Amino acid sequence: MSATERQFGDVLLKVDNITLRFGGVKAITDVSFEIREKQIFAIIGPNGAGKTSMLNVINGFYHPQEGTITYKGNPRQQMKPHEAAETGIARTFQNVALFRGMSTLDNVMTGRLLKMSGPALRYYHQKLANLPVINYLTYPAMWFGDLILDSLYWGPYQREEVKHRKAAEEVIDFLEIQSIRRTPVGRLPYGLQKRVELGRALAMEPDLLLLDEPMAGMNLEEKEDMCRFIIDLNHEFGTTMALIEHDMGVVMDISDQVVVLNYGRKIADGTPNEVQADQDVIDAYLGVAHEADLEEK
Amino acid sequence: MFYREAGQFYTTYAKDQGIFQLKQDKYGLWGLLFFAFLVVPIGLYLLVQGGVMAGTTKDYLYNSILLLLLVNCMAAMGLNILTGYCGQISLGTAAFMGVGAFTAYKFSTGMNYRVQKEDNAGELVSTLVPILPQIDNPIALILLAGAVTAIVGVLFGLPSLRIKGFYLAVATLAAQFFLVWCFSRVEWLYDYTSSSTIQIPLLKVLSFIETGTITFGMPDGSTKAVSVSGFLVAGSETLKVPDGAKTIVSASGFILTDFSKALSSPDASRAVTGETFRIYPVPETKYIFSLAIVVVFAFIMKNLVRGRIGRAWMAIRDMDIAAQLIGIRPLATKLLAFAVSSFFCGVAGAMLLIFYLGALEGAEAFNINESFSILFMVIIGGLGSITGSFLGAAFITLTPIILINVQPAISDVFQDKALVEHIQFMVFGALIILFLIMEPLGLSRLWQIAKEKLRQWPFPY
Amino acid sequence: MGEILEFIFAPILIFESWRFGMEVVISGLLAGVMYSLVALGFVLIYKASGMFNFAQGVLVLFAALNLAGFIGLGVPIPLAIILTIGIMILFAIVVEYLILRHLVNQEQIILFMATIGLAFFLSAFGETIWGSEVKKLDVGIPQGRFEPFGIQIQYLELTAGAVAAALVICLAIFFNKTKIGRALRAVADDHQAALSVGINLRTIWIIVWAVSGIVALVAGTMWGAKSGVQFSLSEIALKALPVLILGGFESIPGAIIGGLIIGLGEKLAEVGWGPYVGGAIEDWFAYILAMVFLVFRPQGLFGEKIIERV
Repeated sequence: MSATERQFGDVLLKVDNITLRFGGVKAITDVSFEIREKQIFAIIGPNGAGKTSMLNVINGFYHPQEGTITYKGNPRQQMKPHEAAETGIARTFQNVALFRGMSTLDNVMTGRLLKMSGPALRYYHQKLANLPVINYLTYPAMWFGDLILDSLYWGPYQREEVKHRKAAEEVIDFLEIQSIRRTPVGRLPYGLQKRVELGRALAMEPDLLLLDEPMAGMNLEEKEDMCRFIIDLNHEFGTTMALIEHDMGVVMDISDQVVVLNYGRKIADGTPNEVQADQDVIDAYLGVAHEADLEEK
Repeated sequence: MFYREAGQFYTTYAKDQGIFQLKQDKYGLWGLLFFAFLVVPIGLYLLVQGGVMAGTTKDYLYNSILLLLLVNCMAAMGLNILTGYCGQISLGTAAFMGVGAFTAYKFSTGMNYRVQKEDNAGELVSTLVPILPQIDNPIALILLAGAVTAIVGVLFGLPSLRIKGFYLAVATLAAQFFLVWCFSRVEWLYDYTSSSTIQIPLLKVLSFIETGTITFGMPDGSTKAVSVSGFLVAGSETLKVPDGAKTIVSASGFILTDFSKALSSPDASRAVTGETFRIYPVPETKYIFSLAIVVVFAFIMKNLVRGRIGRAWMAIRDMDIAAQLIGIRPLATKLLAFAVSSFFCGVAGAMLLIFYLGALEGAEAFNINESFSILFMVIIGGLGSITGSFLGAAFITLTPIILINVQPAISDVFQDKALVEHIQFMVFGALIILFLIMEPLGLSRLWQIAKEKLRQWPFPY
Repeated sequence: MGEILEFIFAPILIFESWRFGMEVVISGLLAGVMYSLVALGFVLIYKASGMFNFAQGVLVLFAALNLAGFIGLGVPIPLAIILTIGIMILFAIVVEYLILRHLVNQEQIILFMATIGLAFFLSAFGETIWGSEVKKLDVGIPQGRFEPFGIQIQYLELTAGAVAAALVICLAIFFNKTKIGRALRAVADDHQAALSVGINLRTIWIIVWAVSGIVALVAGTMWGAKSGVQFSLSEIALKALPVLILGGFESIPGAIIGGLIIGLGEKLAEVGWGPYVGGAIEDWFAYILAMVFLVFRPQGLFGEKIIERV
């Protein structure tokens, strides 16, 4: 399908003139782009181009020295990672970053943690938070109430747990990992671990899903599965995704828009076809002959 | 053959998320509880009554082994929450236990502070003035001890936001040394005694001690001097037989007081006016209470670690960066772990004072070696496992006791007493190293392997 | 208000009598040198094997016990020192054979626990052989003191400082100029990379444990000469831990500067604030100091700013 047929929503994330430095080293220099809702957005570039750093900036793990990020219409500069997660940004990692001591199910359930505020606290947020004065007294009480309910695993808390278990099971069904539900993730093969990691991110029901090399180190079959999941997600649930990938075939097939980074700078931005034709991109990937070499000839 | 899940299906998520995946496990635990709560006390009682076991052996079993074991189980659970589930190493466990013990003591004696006045002769006279009513309910004391320790734990957990791993471990040594210093230097904590020793007063539940002329409950209408009823749980109290009383002793309800040392003769007609006697609980009461506390807290811990809080802890433990990126607040999560862990440790410390020792000296009872031995329990038992906490506590508690009991055999060979002690230490150290080499994941891992084997038995697959 | 200020500045106010102040400073620095020496042995092992060696303090005790024991048996001092060094090397080999090689690739906390077990074993073992009474250790360091400008300085303090400096210089040469030193630095940087270029990790471990055993011997000798050889030596050695978090687990200059800061800081605090709060704040002051410091600078004195990666 060509990109022109597809309808995208408003701008979800706008990156403006971001510069990120580590001491004297510039990892990202003056990069800007926009991600629209329902888009599959790819960031590509040679190794060390600053792709992963870019994702780290987007979800608040690194703090850029210059530039602004506008997410859902609100500009922000400094944000802690968990705050980014609270605003609906989920993430998978280049090197699998699963919680190795826990089972697949528990890993997916951790993705639900943000949504499991605890029944008492939710009641507080719904009914009591706007009351004057009282909220300062009730918040700790409600928080403590949740702790007690948690420690008894009883009543409203148990219902909460079951509710989120259902949501987690839907993700597990979607990713076809039912059979490894109870297996500790440390024992799973690499391809499945990547899938579980995607499941954990999906359980967060994110507005923006960042995928850092989702297909690295996979065989063809696993890659096809992963592509299928990504496309299904995008088409069925309309999830916006930003992904980094080295497999150009995959990138050109599934993405709607591509940004190319090289040495921390943006060298191209456009649809896959436009980017493929760009001379700078070809140079960056194939290497360009030095002028000195040319003169010798 | 019998230990397998075949035929056990769950139709709701609520049931599937139960504590036990297998019915056999559930029955096993109920059986264990039945054994611990009923078979042990009744069995030992019958053994003593039947003359098979000496009364002193029974008391030794309770006072020196079982109670210590329960206290250590509690402390190991507390440390396992922090180290095993949340991944923060702590070397200050004993100090937190100490906070619990001293909190229990201060509340049980009414938070005394000292007022010094000059008397007529110009000498300083100190009096202790209580500012709160004395609390004599052990459950209330234990909960208070836990709460106060949780607050202290959170304070010392604050650096965990910025410090990780062994750096944090060394930082927790600050808690260890500072708090232990307080236990021997802040006089208010031990009511200004010169020996800096604290002693728990008589604690009781649903219990009344009446002295004076009492006729209640005595069918023959004879005059009573003292009547004790209900549960005496810990500590002891010396009472004086009031004037004019002919006799005493009415232990109604549960026979939980031991008067044998108070009165040389139970002869009801003997006048005992002016004599004093001591009332204190029998070891069975302490045992049952400690056991109940440990079981309740184990249940709470299990619920916490299988729910959302436990997942957040384990996420921080396994990969803190990924945990942050899925929305877990690192500081809040770690501090909650410090709070809950310290609560458990505080309860353990209060139990140590109330049930096991009765009286203790803070700097000695909660020194750094105690912290290490609890860390040993957790590591040898298995990090991140409740069963492991129990197994580890049993291993570390019982090994020295066994070594002491084989001591006569060693003593025959080596006459030197210090030498025997050193050999104990060496065996202990060597055992730990051996254990870490053979099974670094701890006893709980062995237990798991055994269960998996059992599940397949007698078939190879 | 005046009293509060007086309390806050108490450690500075002791310099009102500047001679007394200087004596406090010197004894603090001496204690600091001792801590540094313990910390140094620790850093060596941590760098080479990633092992948080809790037994370093006991190693100090063990070395001093051996030396004092041999001298007590009437062995001439130089021979006793050589014998003790021999024992420390033997010990390193035994540790490698019996413990380290079986714990390769284990998690750090397991290694740490193993060293605690080792500490238990070693302290009891040393005392089994040599007895647990306090032993005098006289290796010929001149006793007495001299008084430049009226400040009392013990010869022992001067000697300790000089020996520590010499030791650090020797270690620096060893690390930077010898082939083994280069291998050690390679191992410290990256275990697997070092293995892949043919460095024998086990040999390195033996060397490192032997070297830190010898460093422990130096520390133990100084300490033993000052206050006798006894069990409490291994507990004092625990003070090396805050030194480590101040200086960083992997930094040799950090261990030395950190040791001096801790030694000086706790002496000043003890003399200044101790009397106000009941004394013996030396027990914990170093730890609190190190902890507070770390909260503001988690990478330690000489560490580089940590950049976390995902």
